[in-house]
Amino acid sequence: MIQTLIGVQNTAAALSAEQTRLDVISENIANANTTHGLDGKPYQRQVVVFESALQQAMTADGGLQMPALQVARIEKDDSPPIKIYDPGNPDADPSGMVSMPNININEEMADMISASRTYEANLAVVKNARTMAMEALSIGKH
Amino acid sequence: MTPPIPAMNPASGGTPINMVTPEAAPLPSARIEMPEELGQPLSTTATAPSSNSFASMLGQMVSDVNTQQNVSAQAVGALQSGQNIPLHQAVIAMEEANVSFQLMVEVRNRLMDAYQEIMRMQI
Amino acid sequence: MIEALFNQPNYLAAKKTLDAVVLRQEAIANNIANLETPGYKRVDLATSFESELERACASGNSEELKSLNPSLAVDSTATAGSLDGNTVHLQNELMEMSQNAVANSFETQLVSGMLQRMQMAITGKD
Repeated sequence: MIQTLIGVQNTAAALSAEQTRLDVISENIANANTTHGLDGKPYQRQVVVFESALQQAMTADGGLQMPALQVARIEKDDSPPIKIYDPGNPDADPSGMVSMPNININEEMADMISASRTYEANLAVVKNARTMAMEALSIGKH
Repeated sequence: MTPPIPAMNPASGGTPINMVTPEAAPLPSARIEMPEELGQPLSTTATAPSSNSFASMLGQMVSDVNTQQNVSAQAVGALQSGQNIPLHQAVIAMEEANVSFQLMVEVRNRLMDAYQEIMRMQI
Repeated sequence: MIEALFNQPNYLAAKKTLDAVVLRQEAIANNIANLETPGYKRVDLATSFESELERACASGNSEELKSLNPSLAVDSTATAGSLDGNTVHLQNELMEMSQNAVANSFETQLVSGMLQRMQMAITGKD
């Protein structure tokens, strides 16, 4: 198909990767209080690991090869659950401690803001590329 | 020989960015080269053919316009087949072909007018 | 005759500058796309090309202008903003993108105006 937008191939990859990251963060926040999942254990925080497809390098013909962001895997955070004293909770163990998911809401919010910012920036790039393409199309017209 | 079409699949990674040099062979992200850069010389008025006749000048102009049209068609074809041509280069190539064609049409019109003028003269 | 029409130094300079501006947009797009890629170094127009372009425009030599070849290179003056060595600063990139967009509008109008004037000179009509 026609490649009309200049330079946005890797932008699509970045948008997709950041979208995944935002989804994972949302899931973490939504499950911040899930003490009892399907497997009977408290919810474990999930983390997105990024990697870049291709290295940034000079190609043989003198051009520049650009990396593209992609999600390598979604890992479970192995840090121990946070223990809270709450004897009234149905999930409390004999000593009255409840295992809460290892999620720090403040951290997740900060992460979310960072991911959103990157996402918005990449959207701005696509919008700009479109404007430039429309201007190019009007060359020579009155 | 067509350069490979860059994949749109984000997972396949980045694409090389490059502007081709006039001397280099076509590269995966080759840009369209104008005829001057392709090594096909278009003769300027300063180096007109030795006969320097009007007919040869007209002939030269027609072939120049033809070359320009070919470059334009090549640019548009490359764009449509998905090669990494910058949009503005294709549009400019089309406009230049347009302008040179208009020039040829105008010259033809003037020549026809002049010819008819002469034919109308009473001997 | 046709070739002389499109060989004006001003016209060639405008076209090459437009090429450079569009290439720069590619560079900035890739920089922003790799905002979070560990170890990524930002790229921009090669400084050697920028000085070549200035010199060719000043000299007004058609051959020199036609032989210009815009290229990208890793920006060696960029400093790392994070521990993983990524040298992209989002605010800078967004600002460069704005400026580049204006430059693109300008060069596009320039080239477009030259082509329109050629048409007007030939046909006598707008």
